[in-house]
Amino acid sequence: MSDTPLTAKAPFPPAVIAATTHETPGVRHALTAVALTYLALFLLLPLVMVFAEALRGGLAAYLSALTEPDAVSAIELTLLVAAISVPANMLFGLAAAWAIAKHDFRGKTVLTTLIDLPFSVSPVIAGLIYVLLFGLHGFLGPWLREHDVEIVFAVPGIVLATVFVTLPFVARELIPLMQEQGTADEEAALSLGASGFQTFLRVTLPNVRWALLYGVLLCNARAMGEFGAVSVVSGHIRGYTNTLPLHVEVLYNEYNFVAAFAVASLLASLAIVTLIAKSFLQWWYGDALASGPKR
Amino acid sequence: MTLLHPDRSADSPVAIRIDEVSKSFGGTRVLDRVSMTIAPGRLTALLGPSGSGKTTLLRVIAGLERQTGGIVAFDGVDADRLTLRDRRVGFVFQHYALFRHMTVSDNIAFGLRVRPRRERPDRQAIARKVSELLELMQLQGLERRFPAQLSGGQRQRVAIARALAIEPTVLLLDEPFGALDAKVRKDLRRWLREVCERAQVTTVFVTHDQEEALELADGIAIMNRGRIEQSGSPMEVFEDPRTPFVCEFLGNVNRFDCTYGEGYVEVCGAQFPVDWGGRGAGIAYIRAHEFEVVAREHAEGVPAIVDAVHPFGDAVALEVRVEDRPRTVAVSISRELWELGEIRKGDGILVRPNNVRVFRAAS
Repeated sequence: MSDTPLTAKAPFPPAVIAATTHETPGVRHALTAVALTYLALFLLLPLVMVFAEALRGGLAAYLSALTEPDAVSAIELTLLVAAISVPANMLFGLAAAWAIAKHDFRGKTVLTTLIDLPFSVSPVIAGLIYVLLFGLHGFLGPWLREHDVEIVFAVPGIVLATVFVTLPFVARELIPLMQEQGTADEEAALSLGASGFQTFLRVTLPNVRWALLYGVLLCNARAMGEFGAVSVVSGHIRGYTNTLPLHVEVLYNEYNFVAAFAVASLLASLAIVTLIAKSFLQWWYGDALASGPKR
Repeated sequence: MTLLHPDRSADSPVAIRIDEVSKSFGGTRVLDRVSMTIAPGRLTALLGPSGSGKTTLLRVIAGLERQTGGIVAFDGVDADRLTLRDRRVGFVFQHYALFRHMTVSDNIAFGLRVRPRRERPDRQAIARKVSELLELMQLQGLERRFPAQLSGGQRQRVAIARALAIEPTVLLLDEPFGALDAKVRKDLRRWLREVCERAQVTTVFVTHDQEEALELADGIAIMNRGRIEQSGSPMEVFEDPRTPFVCEFLGNVNRFDCTYGEGYVEVCGAQFPVDWGGRGAGIAYIRAHEFEVVAREHAEGVPAIVDAVHPFGDAVALEVRVEDRPRTVAVSISRELWELGEIRKGDGILVRPNNVRVFRAAS
């Protein structure tokens, strides 16, 4: 008995035990192939087409499409909008997540639901709300006109619409993590004599830094790429209220395909960079989590 | 208003007085007018089953929870008037709550680095303090590690070092051994006692393990359903349990229903005097070591059958079946007696209690 290795008694060879399903290799390969083909057809091909179309007129045409004044202005506007709305939503997201995860107060569920609102409302409706509120014939329109404040069909409207649409990203990323981490670390810091602000800065914030960065990345990608809501409030004034996505549409409608795709390729690159950064962070931050104790 | 002096030296430990403290969460009352005093410089255990309110009491003392009624006083100063920082409580959390993004050294130094500039020691002083504590806690060589890279016992020592770094007026530990395995627990018990003695700090710890409390503490408060059932030295509560709950919670005890009358109670074939007259139902408790056991033919006692023998400790634990009692009775005998070979599984023996604690049954 004793000379029989224990492993020989195992009912299955290890390879079979490792797999939880029992499909034949043929089925598995076929399924993988279907999935990959699907991805290639619907995700990869369009992306490749964007770049192919953009470069169809040669590199010179591509570059000139990106450097003509309207395009530059659209790039600038897009960067400006992101530069305002991303930090705004980062601060809001942090504050909201901190309040929801670490404190108990009346109306907590209402706040949690409200944060999700922009996800459930169509962006076009979001844009329309601002037009109805701030537009010439809107609720606050006459008052704004009297005081010479332009919101709709101007930069402030675009910023507002973008803030609305990208509001949940950071908060949604932080709330579950903060809830899982609980409040023991904060209590430890407070009992050791740290002030509330020191506790937040030295304990709470470092504990969520990777999730925060991840949320900001997603928020930024959406802020730069948002079309629907921005389209409604922008008024498509070339060189003034056109963001990159709107500029693509304008060029496309003018049958200026090379320029349209050239500008679109910028947005596509942004998406790719975001994806790469995101996978890197997930790998890195997933690892950091895994190496820590699950408390 | 007198504040605890920030430079209070560690050689004058603080007394804590808890006066009629209550705490409710929503509608649930977790602490119900708890009063006790915690002697300065002593090691006090809050002992009780889970849900008895012991951790809540500890958190109220720490100031992490605010009581709904009553007063906690540190050396006569109402603790409500002190901020968390001024209370200077060293709190060791059950799961340690180490800062995961900081090294061991940074964790220990945290409480010193967050002090306001005027009170903050300089770099060298902090480094000195940290290395002192690393040595005291036997953590040398682990300075650069992160909490995730430490074992459970090491993490606990870092947590205690971090709490001691602020030279706390009191050290509070929530289930200090709860997350450790049995072997490490025993080693750490003695060691914790030494550390507390050396640090000369009033220490309160929470535990559900009676052995831990009896062995480690100078004083014990036994809690049940938000109240303190009894408090005193380990010897007092062990020898003279005042309530059935305390009786059942401490020591390996058997419960018997009995009747008393004319100043006597009869339990398990033996008669004992009781302090009260009249007749009625009672509950009697007899500890496992309070039985005299003899082989059947020799003497008087209640006949019993040995159901199981566990000869794995300093004493030998028996499970015996007495007459028609549905549950077996726990009885312990000396190893010498067992080694005579007269008492084995399945044998008939005679048992006779030599001590009993009787309580009148609640009517």
